[in-house]
Amino acid sequence: METLGFLMEGFAVALTPYNLMFALFGAFVGTLIGCLPGLGPANGVAILIPLAFTLGLPPETAMILLTAVYAGAMYGGRISSILLNIPGDEPAMMTCLDGYPMAQKGRAADALAISAVASFAGGLIGTIGLIMLAPILAKFALTFGPAEYFALFLLAFATLGGITGKNPMKTVIAATIGIMISTVGIDISTGTQRYTFGVLELYEGIDFILAIVGLFAISELLFFVESRVGGGREKINVGKLTLSFKELVSTIPTQLRGGVLGFIAGVLPGAGASLGSFISYTLEKQVLGKKGKFGEGDIRGVVAPEAGNNGASSGALVPMLTLGVPGSGTTAVLLAMLISLNITPGPLMFTQNADIVWGVIAALLIGNVMLLLLNIPLVGFFVKLLSVPPMYLLPIVTMVAFVGIYSISHSTFDLYFMVAFGIAGYFLRKLEIPLVPIILGLLLGPEMEKNLGHALILSDGSWGILWGSPLAVGLWVVAGLGLVLPYVVGPLLRRRMNAAMKESPVSD
Amino acid sequence: MTGFGDRILGLGLLVLAVAYGWAAQQWPEPFGGAEGVGPETFPTILAFVLVIGSLYLMVKPDPDAQWPVRKTALELVTSVVVLIVYALLMEPLGFIISTTLAVGTLSWRMGARPRMAFITGLISAVVVFVLFNYGLDLSLPAGLLEVE
Repeated sequence: METLGFLMEGFAVALTPYNLMFALFGAFVGTLIGCLPGLGPANGVAILIPLAFTLGLPPETAMILLTAVYAGAMYGGRISSILLNIPGDEPAMMTCLDGYPMAQKGRAADALAISAVASFAGGLIGTIGLIMLAPILAKFALTFGPAEYFALFLLAFATLGGITGKNPMKTVIAATIGIMISTVGIDISTGTQRYTFGVLELYEGIDFILAIVGLFAISELLFFVESRVGGGREKINVGKLTLSFKELVSTIPTQLRGGVLGFIAGVLPGAGASLGSFISYTLEKQVLGKKGKFGEGDIRGVVAPEAGNNGASSGALVPMLTLGVPGSGTTAVLLAMLISLNITPGPLMFTQNADIVWGVIAALLIGNVMLLLLNIPLVGFFVKLLSVPPMYLLPIVTMVAFVGIYSISHSTFDLYFMVAFGIAGYFLRKLEIPLVPIILGLLLGPEMEKNLGHALILSDGSWGILWGSPLAVGLWVVAGLGLVLPYVVGPLLRRRMNAAMKESPVSD
Repeated sequence: MTGFGDRILGLGLLVLAVAYGWAAQQWPEPFGGAEGVGPETFPTILAFVLVIGSLYLMVKPDPDAQWPVRKTALELVTSVVVLIVYALLMEPLGFIISTTLAVGTLSWRMGARPRMAFITGLISAVVVFVLFNYGLDLSLPAGLLEVE
């Protein structure tokens, strides 16, 4: 039980008071980010990166902080789903279906409590899955050569849009733009200046942190300005907790099913948390059939998607940690943190930076317990936050983004750059060009080029090496499928998801 | 006409792709002769991919999004100007004053009452300034308020 030993070491890292404090802080801020209007998880984590930097946190602490934020955001997303019928983030969409009817029946407190428990169960199952699967995958990934890595990166881009994505071509375009931006600066292998136009600030390339913060935070502000929903929402009364122990026990099978399904969806490329919660919900509906009152406030209709999306969020860490290839926006932002800490993600990380990897995994377990403990007593506090008007909140968030970027380099040049990225982000979002592939392109571009170079040196310049091994061919095929499937299966799946939303009598 | 936005974007990206690809061909050959992969290889591939993508956008554009007009567009431009001016004034005026102005203006334009907006701006500015300068030991510019 080598893994168990590593995990114990991880706990030794995560349980130091210093790291525990940051995990708690992260869990709290994460829940805040999840439930505040206009702050998605990817956005929230992105804003925290420069802060984690300027605080001079040691790498494992920084990663623990951000992972806790990530887990917390998944908890927070459900609060507005249940109370307002507005999902806090995309994966929380399915929670609306039964959560909101429960709230209307006066059982909001029960729905919030049971969903916290379900989130905990999902997160726990996902993390256990991560502990079992990650080391195996990391060992397997050690057999990858540069050609396989190149194909793997392509696969990551191809599947990023997800099976339910609308227009895969736009994902391709976005990824290409991201990689192009990453080529600005001095070429590492030859020293050629590329696209620097003689501007000194561009020699070192464009810092992806400011690109990420600009693309997410500034464009979000502009979207809010445009939609003119600055006013807050009314205060909501949660009511008393009437959940019985028996009821809680009766949902355990649902929690297990949801968590496992979610985890699998999280690990697979192209599925992700939204699909995880969707599958969990639909399966639960089919298993229980007529015994349940799905869509009218069935408690299991809240449990299944919550367990699913938290399972998926842990599952999504598997490819990020073992292969260095994230499958979602938020994990991409976590990858950005790792790269800027000078840690090369991928299989080697499990041997070279074992303390960080296992510290993060242990922190995820501890974080889940903390989140459960935080969420039940503090739910009233988080509910109050829902009524914070975005007109005050978003300008302050923008200011924090400015402070973060400024404190990295103390140069206003970076601030202009960030604003420019924000404007670009606004237009791209308007044109439905997804932002996540751009960010992934920025992060993975240099690695991709490096692996291409290595592969061609190994083969003496023959391009055939890129599809020279069965494994590489397999990756190419999956990448191809990732681009073609959305055209075939996508419309069907999207229709079913929409149909499920419409079936519920209150989702108007 | 539908799909106008995507067509313009496609055209813009096509120009970008061609310029990007062309620029890559202009770099001098690196010292030591050409190997399998030079500095221009990868950008050239990217340029090709983007050319194909942008042509696709122009041929098969998605339906247009709702673009903001007049007043909303003006608000958007205002917000962007505020952000740029904020970056511009941060060092000369100092963090507290520039932040009060920037956050205040943004909140006000998003619908808050002016008084409340600027008070929010001031409070958030002071809190962040104190937190960063004294709590975390990171210096933000004090600007005009600097005490010698």
